[in-house]
Amino acid sequence: MAIPSELRDLCKNPTTILNRYKDSGVKVIGYTCSYVPEELIISAGLQPYRITNIGADVSALTPSFVCPFASAVLENMVRLEGFFDGFVIAHTCDPMWRLYDILKKKISKPLFLLRVPHNTDNEHSLEFFKLELIRFKKFLEENSGATIDENALFGATRLCNENRSLLKDIYMLNEHGQFKINALDRFPLVLASMWMPKVEINTQIKTLHFNHSERDGDVRLHLNGTSIYDMDLIRIIGDSGGFVASDDLCTGSRYFWSNVEKSEDPISALAYRYLKRTPCPSQGPIEDRLEYINFMVKEFRAQGVITFAGRFCDPILYDSVHIREMLSKNGVATTLIDYENSTQEIGRIKTRMEAFIESIGG
Amino acid sequence: MSSQRERSRVLQATKKTGELIMEYFSKAWDAKAQGKPIAWITVFTPVELLRALDIYPIAPEHFGAMCSARGVALDYLEEAEKKGYSQNLCSYSRCGLGYALSGMRGLMPSPDFLLTFRNSCDVYVKWWQSLHMHLGTPLFVGEAPYVLTLEDLDNYVLDYIVKQLEQLVKIVEEKFRLKFDMERFVNIIKLSDRASELWLETLKLRRFRPCPLGGRDSASDIFPLVVMQGTEEAIKFYEELLGEVKERVTKAEGAIENEKFRLLFDGIWLWYAFDLIKYFEDRGAVFVYEPYSEAWAYRLDASKPLESVARKILAMGLNLDIDLRIERFSESIKEFQIDGAVLFSNRSCKSWSAPQQITADILSKKFDIPHLLFEADMADPRQYAEAQVKNRVDAFLEVLGES
Repeated sequence: MAIPSELRDLCKNPTTILNRYKDSGVKVIGYTCSYVPEELIISAGLQPYRITNIGADVSALTPSFVCPFASAVLENMVRLEGFFDGFVIAHTCDPMWRLYDILKKKISKPLFLLRVPHNTDNEHSLEFFKLELIRFKKFLEENSGATIDENALFGATRLCNENRSLLKDIYMLNEHGQFKINALDRFPLVLASMWMPKVEINTQIKTLHFNHSERDGDVRLHLNGTSIYDMDLIRIIGDSGGFVASDDLCTGSRYFWSNVEKSEDPISALAYRYLKRTPCPSQGPIEDRLEYINFMVKEFRAQGVITFAGRFCDPILYDSVHIREMLSKNGVATTLIDYENSTQEIGRIKTRMEAFIESIGG
Repeated sequence: MSSQRERSRVLQATKKTGELIMEYFSKAWDAKAQGKPIAWITVFTPVELLRALDIYPIAPEHFGAMCSARGVALDYLEEAEKKGYSQNLCSYSRCGLGYALSGMRGLMPSPDFLLTFRNSCDVYVKWWQSLHMHLGTPLFVGEAPYVLTLEDLDNYVLDYIVKQLEQLVKIVEEKFRLKFDMERFVNIIKLSDRASELWLETLKLRRFRPCPLGGRDSASDIFPLVVMQGTEEAIKFYEELLGEVKERVTKAEGAIENEKFRLLFDGIWLWYAFDLIKYFEDRGAVFVYEPYSEAWAYRLDASKPLESVARKILAMGLNLDIDLRIERFSESIKEFQIDGAVLFSNRSCKSWSAPQQITADILSKKFDIPHLLFEADMADPRQYAEAQVKNRVDAFLEVLGES
């Protein structure tokens, strides 16, 4: 069973839902990455919406050597400002951090920088991050006029946990070498979860059943990288004889892999979940990230790993050296595909992909 | 050309930095031979604390700059690239990684400890993680959240740094069987503070016309504040420098002969192309203010030593909110009577370069001064289009001459 066409369409043009929110008077907070707890936004009665690079070119406000993805996200934030009631940027990598600087001087909507510690296994980082979340809560309350009480937060956490569990259940269908769900069906569900009201997307996901993807026999691959919104990148993997068995993308498994644990102190529980979740390439310790990738590759029986690196993405470019070293010791093939604009470079990327898959035995 | 060469005059004190640097590295090898731990640090980390623990700090960033200035960076850059590190990554980091990967047989002894605080860029974390992975050396990653308002220098953000410093002391004490001596630390803080005070006083004298200390001086004179904080040698250096600069002021002697334009330089210097500074000077333009030069000095309070060092880590220029940075730019434009701004869009330092355009636009509009924004790299000469940059400098100076 394939996903509804409306979800595929939404992935091509997610701003359609922003029109819907505007028409129905829903207040929207735009956010940039999966380190931002949607739970807090929802509990303030606001709709979270993850800002993408879709439909935007790089911004003239950043130099040519700064991550084109972040630059296009910046362009979209400026271009689409009218749809939003506020923005939150998580300080993960340098370009995201500096978007805050630029936007502060460029837009008039309320803007918040969530300072995410890079050393996630330090006890003091957890204490600090909890205080940052309290500051974020205050920002949301001030700008929404709502008071975020514990019940609202518990409710929002339940909704987000349900969403993550549903996405993970689907993801696990490909465990142990199975070919049950195609990535072109799986990724849109994750993306839609970042744009649609949780109740709505959860209801839709519950109606879906996946048993076989018809990609049986393809080369099983793990995708490594940051955020991928361009579904053509996923499509050409299938066209080249590859099957995306697993990933560690910010728009993939890293979004939903772990849930918020039950706790009497919901903010502490949120801080714990978001700091201890599967790490982004910009966070540390690097050993945690390598361990996660290794686990995914084994669990989903990937024969090769493709690293998608947006050009000038420092965290990925440093990590790729260590990922390759680790995987080559385990006999897993790797390739790094870097690009500035995936749409414009799709032909070149496909050639690289085909060669890689062929070399593995596809 | 001889008359042009005479037009710019490097200070006698500046000329001594080369010797000071070589002595510093020589002492590092002595420390290694004596069994003292060597820490590789990113700059703006608590050197004072390490010194109090008898750990010898070395900054691979400084090493990268020095290799580039002496024309020996390429071998290290290529070594890192051979390993798979992209040319799009920070050139200091490629130089440091290349050195580590090629056996560490040069100026820097191998590290026993790796220490970074993420206060300038996230590259610090990634670079240090990579060193840790290649060398297997213990690593401490400290976090220094972005300072959004000056309140952060006193609230839970400051507490977070203090706690990490306490943690760091404990880890290092245990690992190397060392004892932290508070009295020694306080003395080191006093020495470090004095060096900062002297450097800040020296920089202030650049407000005079003609400016007594130019860009070629300031680029070298910062060295003792990079890794020698808390030493008598650093104080001696800055006392001599201040004396010489004061003398120049008294004699109304400038860094260049015919000072026509007073400029602000935003960025790290192009270490392999010092002649670019001279190119400006030969055309009557002198650099009188750089946020980079000022960033190394920070006043410390010996009565609150740990807090003071924590504040220093946090308040590093690039870690201050854009409004605070623009405020400092504005003050400096007035204080140093700046005619124009030169902004170096540095391919290696995305954290610095990303908001530069917007800063330049704001300043140009507010003060009606022209600016030049050019792209290159701080340590990788392969990324420098010399003729093109100089061409743009000519055009910029022409505009300045007309305004």
